[in-house]
Amino acid sequence: MAKPDISIHFLGVKCENPFFLSSSPVCHNYEMIAKAFETGWGGIFYKTVGVFIPDECSPRFDIHSKEQTPWVGFKNMEQISELSYQENAEIIRRLKRDYPNKVLGVSIMGSNDEEWALLARAMTEAGADILELNFSCPQMTSHAMGSDVGQSPELVERYTRIVVENTTLPVLAKMTPNIGHMEEPALAAIRAGASGISAINTVKSICNIDLEHFTAKPVVNAKSSISGYSGAAVKPIALRFIAQLKQDKDLKDVPISGIGGIETWQDAVEFLLLGSTNLQVTTSVMQYGYRIVEDMINGLQHYMVANGFNRLEDFIGKAIPNIIPAEDLDRDFQIIPKIDESKCVGCARCYISCYDSAHQAIDWDPATRKVSINDRCVGCHLCVNVCPVYACILPDRVQFKAGRKPHDVKRQHHYQ
Amino acid sequence: MGKVLNLGYGEAATPTYNVRLAMEEASRCLLCEDAPCSRDCPAGTDPGKFIRSLRFRNIRGAVETIRKNNILGASCALVCPYDRLCEGACSRTGIDRPIQIGRLQAFAMQHEQAYGMRVLERAEPVNKRVLCVGAGPASLACAAKLSEHGIDVHIVDAHERAGGVLRYGITPSRLPESVVDQDIACVEALGVSFEQNRRISADELPVLRKEYDAIFVGVGLSEAKLLTTLPGADLAGTQAAIHFLKIARETEGKALASKLGRVVIIGGGDVAMDCASTSIQLGAESVRVVFMESMDKMPAGVAERDYVVSLGATLISGFVPTELKGKDSVQAVDFVSVNKDSHMSLAADLVIFAVGQRIADDYRDLRLEDGMFIAGDAVNGGRTVVEAVAEGKEAALSILKFLALA
Repeated sequence: MAKPDISIHFLGVKCENPFFLSSSPVCHNYEMIAKAFETGWGGIFYKTVGVFIPDECSPRFDIHSKEQTPWVGFKNMEQISELSYQENAEIIRRLKRDYPNKVLGVSIMGSNDEEWALLARAMTEAGADILELNFSCPQMTSHAMGSDVGQSPELVERYTRIVVENTTLPVLAKMTPNIGHMEEPALAAIRAGASGISAINTVKSICNIDLEHFTAKPVVNAKSSISGYSGAAVKPIALRFIAQLKQDKDLKDVPISGIGGIETWQDAVEFLLLGSTNLQVTTSVMQYGYRIVEDMINGLQHYMVANGFNRLEDFIGKAIPNIIPAEDLDRDFQIIPKIDESKCVGCARCYISCYDSAHQAIDWDPATRKVSINDRCVGCHLCVNVCPVYACILPDRVQFKAGRKPHDVKRQHHYQ
Repeated sequence: MGKVLNLGYGEAATPTYNVRLAMEEASRCLLCEDAPCSRDCPAGTDPGKFIRSLRFRNIRGAVETIRKNNILGASCALVCPYDRLCEGACSRTGIDRPIQIGRLQAFAMQHEQAYGMRVLERAEPVNKRVLCVGAGPASLACAAKLSEHGIDVHIVDAHERAGGVLRYGITPSRLPESVVDQDIACVEALGVSFEQNRRISADELPVLRKEYDAIFVGVGLSEAKLLTTLPGADLAGTQAAIHFLKIARETEGKALASKLGRVVIIGGGDVAMDCASTSIQLGAESVRVVFMESMDKMPAGVAERDYVVSLGATLISGFVPTELKGKDSVQAVDFVSVNKDSHMSLAADLVIFAVGQRIADDYRDLRLEDGMFIAGDAVNGGRTVVEAVAEGKEAALSILKFLALA
């Protein structure tokens, strides 16, 4: 099988593929980034370079788990690069020399006008391809930096303008999700000359409380702090923000670098379908290593072949027009599910959930351990989602509400 | 031991995973650095890589890895002695139990069918012709590897259908015909041509060598070993294992169904296990398998052993036969224990000898001329399918070197 080309231009920079490491612990020195490039990543956003040098705590990570799935979400208290901007500039210079075809985005963060200008000039000189402005780290020990800045459209606009004036490179502004309307700081960045938006940075969080020390985890000498949450759990939040940015009339043509819980090619395709033209990953790399990019690339190419797409542009943004306001949905029908008796193991989880959380539409016969759907079913599909047996309860019959005109209904076919 | 299974001839022993169960199992995988499972696959199927693909929902990528590395990936998924190979090496064993690699491989291979995938394609021809003698695992693997390099490969085989031991020597409840067909279709898609029902004798090889740029000999072990010195071994009612399995396969069991009576199988390898499950599934009154090794040293894989026990076979370890008794036809077999302290006599209507196979007489002292290569069971004395694949692949590399193509 001939593999389709997955290269793409992002902010005018040619990328061999859309997969980038995001600015984070996964890319803070030469050896790491060299290995990532060798493994197949198209580019990186270098761990945020600042004038400020953080003093990190130990331990600094926690995970949120559910049943047999660890790392549903990940909490991180680490801040920006611990190297001076001059040391980082040297590393970036070497990387650019040794990997000329890979894309070097560099994340920067200043605490005042002078620092932003200085960092912009230094990283441009060092050979970066793109500057990403970190307006969004929620665990900075200084309130002049990070998500406190990103929540203020005025500061975003001010610092973006300073960077744009001090570089010849395309500029990306990285947004915090710790805000109601991301469109406001995003528009502020674009007004000031940014070429694109990265979304999302981490979500402010407390994953768990330690029941012994009465503080959050991780426990740092019997205390802890609120800090950024990432991984699979934030993917739904990221997709929502990206959809809203892409549907804003003033932002719809602004290139987006999508970030948030990407782990598989399927996640990547979802971000692309919502209009992202670049993808950033950290948490799944922290759990599994750089090698996950191999299946992202390979899986994406197989998806394209199977669907007849030759280029990423053939499907980027394809889902945007289909995300519509709730008031515009077709509410004329109910899709009634069907229980496959040959597959049912008689656990009655569907019955329990339907009774306690939905419409008491599943009857349960304790003598035979059989379940059946009655006429109180409204087609909510809680049972479809709760059934532990693969393909046992599936959507079946479309019934139209009284007085509504029957028409063709398109429906979901793939369930896992 | 749980309750006795009741399966008809050819009914699958282990149900295949659905996508949800496959993901659950793949997510148990520790995704080790330098995965020991991959190191321990003789054919280099690279389970570490294909399980990682499954874990990250790249089923097509998993299919690709398996097929590129193991042309008989679908068959191996069902017949490999996993407990001794990749699963035996699995790091997860240190936590609870190994990943079910074979079942994951079978899941991926089913999706090759469902997706209609063609992983390997015919290469640009390089104007070289190679003859492969025999259509068993080693020959198929060698042929596939050669045609990936553009060589025109012709397989000639004595049986009605291609597959060798896969087709005729393994019971279909372990390896359904459709799975053998799936693998062979991949070899055919590479452009390999097959000529069935023609046995090439060893004498013909020098002549044929002139027509081809090289010859690969993958004739396997086509003859049954018999216990000829055993008193009564010539009585009616005795059968060699490979003939028994072949007849069962060719007639889909019909020639043997409900005619077996009390079956005694002599031998403790995978072939003996296949004879046992076949006998039970064809309605034998009783099935007793007797072998000289102790239970922990018996040659059969643990999965195969457990499977026949779950079907209701009786396994007796540490005994060797001393005499077959009967008038015209066998009626009983006498045994003595290996340490000579015990004797037993088992009533029998059919005695199956599963004590190994040997190479055909004309190939026994085969002199390999320049440009002639041999591998697989014919050389290694009869091992596993996956080892034959590995050796066939290796022989292909030697042939490529010989033809100055590698």
